[in-house]
Amino acid sequence: MPVFKTPFNGYAVKFSPFYESRLAVATSQNFGILGNGRVHVLDFPPTPSTPIAEIASFDTADGVYDVTWSESHDSLLVAAVADGSVKLFDLSLPPSSNPVRSLHEHTREVHSVDYNPTRRDSFISSSWDDTVKLWTLDRPTSVRTFKEHAYCVYSAVWNPRHADVFASASGDCTVRIWDVREPGSTMILPAHEFEILSCDWNKYDDCGIVTASVDKSIKVWDVRSFRVPAAVLNGHGYAVRKVKFSPHRQNLIASCSYDMTVCLWDYMLEDALVGRYDHHSEFAVGVDMSVLVEGLLASTGWDELVYVWQHGTDPRAP
Amino acid sequence: MEKAINRQRVLLEHLRPTSSVSSHSSQTHESSLSASICLAGGSAAYHRAAAFGDDVVIVAAYRTAICKAKRGGFKDTLPDDLLAPVLKAVIEKTNLNPSEVGDIVVGTVLAPGSQRATECRMAAFYAGFPETVPLRTVNRQCSSGLQAVADVAAHIKAGFYEIGIGAGLESMTVNQIGSTRQVNPKVQIFEQARDCLLPMGITSENVAQRYGVTRQEQDQAAVESHRRAAAATASGKFKDEIIPVSTKIVEPGTGVEKPVIISVDDGIRPNTNIADLAKLKPAFKKDGTSTAGNSSQVSDGAAAVLLMKRSLAMQKGLPILGVFRSFAAVGVDPAVMGVGPAVAIPAAVKSAGLELDDIDLFEINEAFASQFVYCQKKLELDPEKVNVNGGAMAFGHPLGATGARCVATLLHEMKRRGKDCRFGVISMCIGSGMGAAAVFERGDCVDELCNARVVQSNNLLSKDVQ
Repeated sequence: MPVFKTPFNGYAVKFSPFYESRLAVATSQNFGILGNGRVHVLDFPPTPSTPIAEIASFDTADGVYDVTWSESHDSLLVAAVADGSVKLFDLSLPPSSNPVRSLHEHTREVHSVDYNPTRRDSFISSSWDDTVKLWTLDRPTSVRTFKEHAYCVYSAVWNPRHADVFASASGDCTVRIWDVREPGSTMILPAHEFEILSCDWNKYDDCGIVTASVDKSIKVWDVRSFRVPAAVLNGHGYAVRKVKFSPHRQNLIASCSYDMTVCLWDYMLEDALVGRYDHHSEFAVGVDMSVLVEGLLASTGWDELVYVWQHGTDPRAP
Repeated sequence: MEKAINRQRVLLEHLRPTSSVSSHSSQTHESSLSASICLAGGSAAYHRAAAFGDDVVIVAAYRTAICKAKRGGFKDTLPDDLLAPVLKAVIEKTNLNPSEVGDIVVGTVLAPGSQRATECRMAAFYAGFPETVPLRTVNRQCSSGLQAVADVAAHIKAGFYEIGIGAGLESMTVNQIGSTRQVNPKVQIFEQARDCLLPMGITSENVAQRYGVTRQEQDQAAVESHRRAAAATASGKFKDEIIPVSTKIVEPGTGVEKPVIISVDDGIRPNTNIADLAKLKPAFKKDGTSTAGNSSQVSDGAAAVLLMKRSLAMQKGLPILGVFRSFAAVGVDPAVMGVGPAVAIPAAVKSAGLELDDIDLFEINEAFASQFVYCQKKLELDPEKVNVNGGAMAFGHPLGATGARCVATLLHEMKRRGKDCRFGVISMCIGSGMGAAAVFERGDCVDELCNARVVQSNNLLSKDVQ
């Protein structure tokens, strides 16, 4: 599959839930430490020989750390920006009309955004200001702020089954489960001894959750019995930056790490590591699995490259 | 700079695994707000669909000038030479590779079916299309051009192809309206079948009589049509949509051939007035009200419309002239076929999820003033929104081309009017008792982002009442 070179360092990739060949990429200049950001929307062709086409790009005044697609409008994107803002971009409108919204409430870097896949009317953002905020499209301010974590919240993800439930992973070494109908978090999961950088829900088991930590490990949990993890996946050489459950197979997990690799795991197997891709030459920080095409993966990293490939093939193969 | 140092510190923590639990007192922020779906429904009657890139859009729509049959600019032009320039124009103006076109559909009425289909295929070759691009014709009488555009839109939506051309062609110089030669004796038993054989002029008289449209109202409509068409021509409005055609004219008498470029409609009479029209004799019935002055003219012309998926248009960077929203064809009593638009317009508007009030501009074909006036009155349309640049009474009604011609006229007018003019409707009556209508939307309009959903059934009565 072809490769796309971004001018800035890659931070996140997301497949469109509407078009099987569309991908959004969040990038930041100077490794996200200082400078601008840009969101790219790419169309990769069905035939591997033709190059990836960029159909739109949106510039921001600070790095973009994460991006998510709207589940209700195929042209709408939500971006997490390092200046504390959450920006909405509409592909159907000319660049001059974008961003269609700029929601500035977080006081520090916004590190993740996730669109509600069940109810499709809202999204959450998590920030280094220790909070998670809930937003809807038609309100200029956040609906609610969830403030319990004691350090950066690196990621917040909706439960794929329950429209009101989400999980947040924080540098305070806990994962918290929230129900937006409840005043506080409904569960605190002290999942790792070190900072937790990412978490995701199992798409087939509404109690299954996976966490990734600076301690180089990935842990799979059943929230009903949170004292012992259901599985511990060791194999990354450095902090695990992002972790994702497969939308197609219950036991499959993808992860990427500061050790520059993207790994695939089947947590039910004795030998859990089912694939390791070392195509990146810098920290691998963004990974996603396509909902529409089984086995299709995308990754990006600080080497300014975006790869799209089918599981089992070499990402670098032309 | 402090920000950069802080960011560096956070990221470095990831690589130097030391416990970083800070002992901030975690305050619980309580809020009584929670997310819920608004049941009130949006203010806009129409919500853009989830899959926006799937819209079928029009990226180009052009027509030839419309010229009087037998006497006008195209009297010595063959039908295929009329079609080729507009097919060529939609490709050239958009820089599209013609081999990417999935199908060409041409609406054409009077000519013998197979012969005309062959001529149209030849015209595609003149226009520079490769042999790989297929072509077919469609005949829904007076709305053939609109039907061609609707067919292409439907096929794109169905995924048969991604780019298509809907076109229309009629040379009433070459093919005249004739009467059916052999009539099945059975029609004497089926009244409505018999009514299908009525000359169009008689159906117009029927409309005037049945719905009480006076001669004066009809003449007034004709005067207005000419006035608006003349004003539009004088201000150069049609220059955006008319493709000049280089052809020839044979001078009557001498037989000398002269090369000409036709780029102006020649049926418009700017000095038309009520007094002159009142002097005309009824054309179809002794005591009738339809005259040559308040009926559509017999004309030659062609038009073509290039459609594709919005996602493709955006990818190619083409300007989006309009979005094809809906189409409806309906049947009415053949004896008063002219009432077609009065039934078809509400049907098409409804299927677009709109109401008549949402429509900012109408192109209703003026086959006869009687039916045009009736439809406008029946639907209570604001005359300032209907046929703002005149209609078929002024520049003519080349049957197969009219529908596609209206698309060009409507969309270019909507473009001129700007964002206040969001939705447009094209409609016409159809011989043998039918009507067709289509709804178009501006390409650059999107509804405000909103979570409100339309409440599908809002039955506030108790179940006992049902």
